Amino acid sequence: LFVQSCADRLDLQPEDERLTGDAAFEDPEAYKQFLAKIYAGISLSGQEGPAGSPDLAGLDEGFSNYLRLYWKMQELTTDEALIAWNDGTIQDLHAQVWTSGNEFIRTMYSRLMYQVALCNEFLRQTTDGKLDGRGVSQELRAEIQTFRAEARFMRALTYWHAMDLFANPPFITEDDPIGAFLPPQIQREDLFNYVEEELLDIVDDMAAPRSNEYGRADRAAAWMLLAKIYLNAEVYTGNSRYADVITYTNNIIGAGYSIPDIPYFHSFLADNDSNGAQDEVIFTIPFDGLRTQAFGGMTFLTHAPVGGSMNPAEFGINGGWFGIRTTPTFVEQFPGEENSADGRELLYTDGQNKDIMSVATFTDGYAVAKYRNVDVNGNPGSDTTGDHTDIDFPMFRLADAYLMYAEAVLRGGGGSVSTAVDYINELRVRAYGDTSGNISQADLTLDFIIDERSRELYWEAHRRTDLIRFDQFSDNGVWQWKGGVQSGTTTESFRDVMPLPATDLGINNNLEQNPGY
Amino acid sequence: TVSGTVTDKANAMPLPGVNVLVKGTSRGASTDFDGNYTLEVNQGEIIVISYVGYKTQEITYTGQSTIDVVLEEDAAQLDEVVLIGYGSTTKQDATGAVEKVGDEDFNRGAIVAPQQLIAGKAAGVRITTGGGAAGEGGEIRIRGGASLGSNFGATNDPLIVIDGLPIDQRGGAQGSRNALNAINPADIEDFVVLKDASATAIYGSRASNGVILITTKKGSANQPFKVEYGLQASTRTVTNTVDVLNASQFRQVVTDNGGDVASLGNANTDWQDQIYTTGVGAIHNITVSKGYERFNFRVNLNHVSQEGPLNDLYERTGINTSFVHRFLNNDLKLTLVTKAIQDEYDYANEGAIGAAVAFDPTQSVFDENGNYTQYGTSANLAPANPLFLLDNNNYNSRQTIKRVISNFNIDYKFWFLRDLRFNLNAGIDYAENNGYQFSAANPNNSGAVPTNEVSSGLNRNTSLDFYLNYKKDIESINTLVDITAGHAFQEFYIKSFVDRVSATTLTDTDINRNALESYFARASFDIADKYLISASFRRDGSSRFSEDNRWGSFPGVSVGWKLMNESFMENSFFSNLKLRAGWGVTGQQEIGQNYGYLGVYTPSRNNAANIQFGTLPNGDPIFFQTLRPEGFDENLKWEETTQYNVALDFGFFNNRLTGTVDAYYRETEDLLSRVPVPAGANLTDLLITNVGEATSRGIEFSLNGIIAQKENFGWDTNFNLTFQDVEITKLSLSDDPNFTLPTGGISGGVGNQIQILRPGYDPTTFFVFRQVYDDNGNPIAGSYVDVNGDNQITEADRQPYKKATPDAFIGFTNNFRYRNFDLNFTFRGSFGNYVYNNVASDRGNVNAVVNQPGYQANAHSSFLSTNFTNQELFSDLYIQRADFVRLDNISLGYTIPFSKMTLRTSLTATNVFVITEYDGLDPEISNGIENNFYPRTRDIVLGLNFTF
Repeated sequence: LFVQSCADRLDLQPEDERLTGDAAFEDPEAYKQFLAKIYAGISLSGQEGPAGSPDLAGLDEGFSNYLRLYWKMQELTTDEALIAWNDGTIQDLHAQVWTSGNEFIRTMYSRLMYQVALCNEFLRQTTDGKLDGRGVSQELRAEIQTFRAEARFMRALTYWHAMDLFANPPFITEDDPIGAFLPPQIQREDLFNYVEEELLDIVDDMAAPRSNEYGRADRAAAWMLLAKIYLNAEVYTGNSRYADVITYTNNIIGAGYSIPDIPYFHSFLADNDSNGAQDEVIFTIPFDGLRTQAFGGMTFLTHAPVGGSMNPAEFGINGGWFGIRTTPTFVEQFPGEENSADGRELLYTDGQNKDIMSVATFTDGYAVAKYRNVDVNGNPGSDTTGDHTDIDFPMFRLADAYLMYAEAVLRGGGGSVSTAVDYINELRVRAYGDTSGNISQADLTLDFIIDERSRELYWEAHRRTDLIRFDQFSDNGVWQWKGGVQSGTTTESFRDVMPLPATDLGINNNLEQNPGY
Repeated sequence: TVSGTVTDKANAMPLPGVNVLVKGTSRGASTDFDGNYTLEVNQGEIIVISYVGYKTQEITYTGQSTIDVVLEEDAAQLDEVVLIGYGSTTKQDATGAVEKVGDEDFNRGAIVAPQQLIAGKAAGVRITTGGGAAGEGGEIRIRGGASLGSNFGATNDPLIVIDGLPIDQRGGAQGSRNALNAINPADIEDFVVLKDASATAIYGSRASNGVILITTKKGSANQPFKVEYGLQASTRTVTNTVDVLNASQFRQVVTDNGGDVASLGNANTDWQDQIYTTGVGAIHNITVSKGYERFNFRVNLNHVSQEGPLNDLYERTGINTSFVHRFLNNDLKLTLVTKAIQDEYDYANEGAIGAAVAFDPTQSVFDENGNYTQYGTSANLAPANPLFLLDNNNYNSRQTIKRVISNFNIDYKFWFLRDLRFNLNAGIDYAENNGYQFSAANPNNSGAVPTNEVSSGLNRNTSLDFYLNYKKDIESINTLVDITAGHAFQEFYIKSFVDRVSATTLTDTDINRNALESYFARASFDIADKYLISASFRRDGSSRFSEDNRWGSFPGVSVGWKLMNESFMENSFFSNLKLRAGWGVTGQQEIGQNYGYLGVYTPSRNNAANIQFGTLPNGDPIFFQTLRPEGFDENLKWEETTQYNVALDFGFFNNRLTGTVDAYYRETEDLLSRVPVPAGANLTDLLITNVGEATSRGIEFSLNGIIAQKENFGWDTNFNLTFQDVEITKLSLSDDPNFTLPTGGISGGVGNQIQILRPGYDPTTFFVFRQVYDDNGNPIAGSYVDVNGDNQITEADRQPYKKATPDAFIGFTNNFRYRNFDLNFTFRGSFGNYVYNNVASDRGNVNAVVNQPGYQANAHSSFLSTNFTNQELFSDLYIQRADFVRLDNISLGYTIPFSKMTLRTSLTATNVFVITEYDGLDPEISNGIENNFYPRTRDIVLGLNFTF
């Protein structure tokens, strides 16, 4: 009897707030909370805000944040941004000398695959069989079908990031188990087809454009993602799909979004969910100074660019982190440079040198005052300590759709040049406050598009993808400290694709390293 | 009445202080200075004559008027009883690598942490203190550890068993610097260290990193009433500080490098001098004990107060009782040992250590208004004034731990079969902690808020084990048979509560329960007093693994050959010679987490980890908490270590010189390690799983000599020397020989790591760039050897280089006695270990001064020789040889034998000096990374011991 009772006492289950799978889903709210985790996968870094109980353990929690890493991949590698810090191999990003041992690249990769694994687990937990077994109500089941479509959208979004950065990542779906197996590698073209098929398959299950709850993806977000992969299809697959870009940007443009009649800089303020800026936003990553806290995301994007003589109070924060600035190449995109009439030029120059003699010196390079945690009246955000910010990150917005439309027109995807010019001028009217910055049809060239994208969308995590599409990222295009030298130099074209991390290659022998690494 | 003289066989000199007792009674006497005694004794009674270091004699009184006794030295005390876990053996019959360190061998000083008692005393055992904080403990490594350590997987800490109760390998109490402090060092009778697997396998799944059996003092039968009072009054001072620029050097750097000269002050403040004070301490012990024929007891009351140099305070109040009662003609023995302890820690803000290194030395402590000088609110990343940090108004952190460790033992010899014994141990280790921590808002940030945290916890460890032991000398086969079989069940329950109010709040209760069930058996045979064989087997079940992997088997076998007892050894040069060999398999499962094989879900732990879904009609956002599925490994199982041991025990000169040589080889399989999972295959990036293999080997020498043993002069010495080597042989499922895991986090940028785990290397191997030097031998900043020849310096050029663990370490103890004086000292040394000077690498550059976000901080003096502008964190320049020899303690005592009492006075100094090439703060850093280390102190201790 004693022996028997002892053996039973070795079967122990959690007794605190943790729950095993089926027990967790006894609460109907659990499905939406799990979906919330998938969305939070981009903005938060763990289960305790701003830090604690991290999702990923391989790097400092603040650094492991999805949005922060994705931003670094897209911006620090380009002419738009560089950083002064001495954290591990972070300087290798701007210098374009990264190797397969780079922990930022590694953690980006881990974060992407973690996000996919979360989505897969959600899909496994919401199969008809599981829902039947748990006696889920019909009403909730209907809602769960939309949740499932959104989970697949979020997975497609992440696979797009993986396809864009790593080309040939591991590939797992809800049909794979958890645990002791080695995920197979997928080739970029196959992954393109998968993402496209997934999006086409779910688009009708998504909520109609602008009808979903704030912070959740809708059909227009899926269209935007389709347009994104089609615009870059030539890079991903070798085959262009510009006509499809026209189709899906047209869908979006016709869905009721508008360029608000407010200054450009309002779109990046603490109240950008309510000051009108939200009218053009197709997919947002919401942050809140009190309730959605992480040291990645907008906290990073607001603090890290502040330093030198910049007054933190004007940024609605308690102090700068003396990190990110921009290169002269970006400054020179604006006519008149730091004194440009273009309202999108939000450079800070007091005490800053335009040229970068030393990457480690914050005052070398003009600072960028784009993200500010104050509302349109200059009042600071909700977190009175000045640590965390209310700014929502506009992952997809109408301006981008306009520019994509125009580019697809120029690249022979159909559409109308005059419509494209109208769209661009809509953006430029907002930028200049009047029509003085408007362009004519003759001005609309691909060279103009890549520069205009930078002027409109800088520091919104598009630059690397854009430069690669325009073949200006590695073996063309020079900006200061590219290649690790002050004047900048070209690098080899294999750097258009990031290396698979050496650690994963060491574990998963299904994987083959990308060429050049 | 009988009287007589006791003399030493070796030199015919009289022996004073010899115990002469009538067996089974409380009547006794001890010999005077001339070795004379007188004793009341009745016809037929047995007189027992015993003296430490000599063989005990028994003489039956048959009416003699004089009994003179000649005692023979028994230097090695080969018949000394040694615990081996669920039983005991004698030194001469031990077949495993078992070492006993008794109280007469302990380190001296105002020792609070029990592990300090045996630092340097046993071969193969390395104890590294964590620094000079009050109540600080020490890391214990037996044979270097077979696991990867708690940062990576399973702990490398040994299993500690106190009076038969295995203590939680996680410490057993929360909120403590050193959970072992619950054991009063003055109560410890001895430590038995079980090193090899043949000895530890009886402890099965927790034994891979060795087992330490601690026995506390219990008094003895027929002992006169005794009262002892001990006082140790001590001072603690820091012996060394970090080398930083003084004010004029700092001014020069600021001026020369275009810094902000206007912000410089006029003071010359040595901030480190400012923060460290002399701590005082006192340890009181009052002990009463008495032994009757059937009952003996010992009660100790103790109080410890110890101040650290940062004004931190440790206090312990403890009562320790032991009661032993024998019934039924000594066939039934009940032992109850209970320790009740209250530990209190008043923690200092150790952030002041780094702040004192970094703070501008041209600033005075207080500004003109009498406030602490600060950098100001335009520099919220700047260090705060170190004295502001230490100020009780700005930082207050206390933990109170109440703990009871109690063990009840029944030992019963069956009346029908007196060779059969039943032994039952019921133990509980129960601890409650309560604490709070207040820390003021960052003074350099106007928006910052203070932090108030309340925490509490409960640790409960309940244990029940029993065994049957059959021990018989079967003369027909000339064999002593000793067979044990038993069962054990142990459960650990840990509850932790925290309520933190700051910019964000957190209120959280964590509960963790795990249990172990075990069956064990051992059979030992001593054939003809020459051939020893012992085999043990344990089967352990752990709640941490799924039913498929729950149970593990852990066998051990050892053999011994008492060569000395062979006829051909008669008249030999040796006085003892024994050959031993052992093999065993042990396990490890202490990975901290409990449900690693189960997929569990964790909700958001506070409301700052929510996400907006939708908006209320009034425009307010709606927030949702999130629910996260956790990664898991359903195949999680035991780590398994196989260990081989061969050894020779020897003695010369009538065992006045004895020694042991042990050699071992150890392989760990299914090493539990937190490693990257194949990306996408799990719900996390790093997971504790059974992945690696490691081997280690070593040789341990130990020599004990009794050099002089005269009436007025005695000298004995112990020397031990250990060589060891640990190497990871496999670290990933794919067998990739270059698979590397970074480890060893350093400061100077987030996420930087200086060490690696890689097959073929020691787990503390550094991973660095090879610095290039100019013709004058000065380092060229940023210039490293381009190892792969690609004309770029990337992390592909970083190389494994040196390691933190020593190749060899020694301990050397001498005890002298001259008349009533005694003198003893202990040296410890370590060789082949390296330390990465992170303070120098982080702060030894111009940018540390002039390129900080909004402020200027001090630089490490290494800057004066390197002239580095930027941090060169990964340069091998900062990996420095850290061999050392330390005079750990030296103690001089004088004993005054008054007529009714004895007084021993002593003066002890600890950490007297260190001989080392390392030019940082201290060469003895357990993980090999020196970074804001709480400096070790030198203690001066005055001791008074009264015995009535």
